[in-house]
Amino acid sequence: MTRLAIEDVSVDFGGIHALRDVTFALESGSIVGLIGPNGAGKSTLLNCISGITRPTKGKVLLEGTVLSEMSASSVARQGIGRVFQHPELVTDLSVHDNLLTACHRALDYGLVSELLRLPNARRQERAAAERVAGVMARLGIADSANTTIRNLPYGYRKLIDLGRTLLMDIDFLLLDEPIAGLNDAEISRLREILLGLRKEFDLGILVVEHNMPFVSRLCDRLVVLDLGELIANGPPAEVLGNARVMSSYLGEMADA
Amino acid sequence: MSAAADMMEVSPAPASRNWAAAAVGLCLLLACVAPLGLNGYGLYLLTLTEIFVLVALGLNLLTGYAGQISLCHSAFFGVGAYATAILTQKAGVPYLLSLLLGALLTTAIGALAAIPALRLKNIYLAIATLGFGVVLQKIIFEWRGLTGGGGGLALTAPRIAGYELGATGLYYLTLALMSAGLFGAWNVSRGRTGRALLAIKDSEIAAGSLGIHAAQYKVIAFAISAFYASIAGGLFAYLVRYINPESFSVGLSISFLSMVVIGGLGTIGGSILGAAFYVIVPELLRGIKDAPGLVFGLLLVVVMVFMPQGLWGMLRRIWRRSAG
Repeated sequence: MTRLAIEDVSVDFGGIHALRDVTFALESGSIVGLIGPNGAGKSTLLNCISGITRPTKGKVLLEGTVLSEMSASSVARQGIGRVFQHPELVTDLSVHDNLLTACHRALDYGLVSELLRLPNARRQERAAAERVAGVMARLGIADSANTTIRNLPYGYRKLIDLGRTLLMDIDFLLLDEPIAGLNDAEISRLREILLGLRKEFDLGILVVEHNMPFVSRLCDRLVVLDLGELIANGPPAEVLGNARVMSSYLGEMADA
Repeated sequence: MSAAADMMEVSPAPASRNWAAAAVGLCLLLACVAPLGLNGYGLYLLTLTEIFVLVALGLNLLTGYAGQISLCHSAFFGVGAYATAILTQKAGVPYLLSLLLGALLTTAIGALAAIPALRLKNIYLAIATLGFGVVLQKIIFEWRGLTGGGGGLALTAPRIAGYELGATGLYYLTLALMSAGLFGAWNVSRGRTGRALLAIKDSEIAAGSLGIHAAQYKVIAFAISAFYASIAGGLFAYLVRYINPESFSVGLSISFLSMVVIGGLGTIGGSILGAAFYVIVPELLRGIKDAPGLVFGLLLVVVMVFMPQGLWGMLRRIWRRSAG
């Protein structure tokens, strides 16, 4: 079992403490929900783990390897997949080509092979195309393989974005508000997909989400951030019963 | 959808793929027999078009795919021209080898030119590359012992394996190299590099999360692009037989950029149409008394206003509409 550990991570932006001494861990095969009011530091924490933001203090470790000193692309190569809140797809390319882009790391033919499309490049491209077809089938989007992204609805794009991370041989998946903008059918499909991935690949999933019924049903554990501090970490039932969590987060939601 | 996707094996229906292959074959066949039907000036123009197609193909990978603007391509073109000419003329290196060596030198310089691109974007990068181009042009100008300075270099016809390369010979060499350049650019556009470049253009952060190292691919894009420009420059030098630093000013860089934009950013077909437009349209306008430049300028405006996707994008839209 692999372990992704966040140790004493603090992030300051100028004088603002976006995160303060946050410590918790995510094991492979577990699904952890990261919740908290707006501005609590959830996205900053995801950015720290994925190498986009460097912690001011503390570190992120993957089985002893320090991720927090690596670039975003190196972190991705370590097997950490990131799905952004808004799908970051190449809108001019087809679904198929967007998914192929995620096979980048798996393709290792050189530039000369590419320029001349030598047999090894062709072979690898074919293998990648087969993997892409597999992921499209899993996500139920095989019919739109050749559709350009700009012609697809938002929920669909989010699925494709998720599909890209699945092509990257990841051990851990970071999801930022995966169900925002999805309809009920898409939400239940996403839940099934995530549970299926956990079961099949022993994937560890960290999900930032505001929708309480969704996270409490999906997650094994909830981690709560408030003003950059970790205020609770435990099973959903326990965390949602915590008085401090209630006042800082759920209270705010009730007010709203 | 970009040409990359359009030409992908998986994207279009097999029927349209056959059509595309047939069209490419027909164009190449026409290009092969063209010298029979053209006078000297016509052949010169067609050779020049093919040379500019090479530059545009490379620049399009950089600007259309990777989203990096460059105003130093005339300098790459010039370095290629000078390096090839000096190696051939002064060092006695065979012409084809000079072309290659010149291109390797320019590729290295192109990789250097990518350094500002690691920090700058858009208009800021344009200015930085502009400066880089001016420096290169100035070096060519000042290095009189090697380049002849402002007096320029007059060249004699190159020889390949003992045969003197006349206008027709140079035309066929250019055609062969342009075809090779097309093949390479097409392959890159549908390979891992092409996809990585498009991903970087859209979002460097998202590309990073896919394990694509943006800095590395910007350097690669600049380098490939400089390679193309240099080969084109080495052909150009022997097409005009006289080069001087003034030929490689920023104005030419702007023309290269316009070819790519007018033809269609991020498309192979656009590189071809843009280069052809730039060489052939002014010739067609030559008959208009007093005002060919004026009309050409207005045409550029009209193309940009009514065909923001460029000539190639327009053609594709017409093709799709007629195909239902």
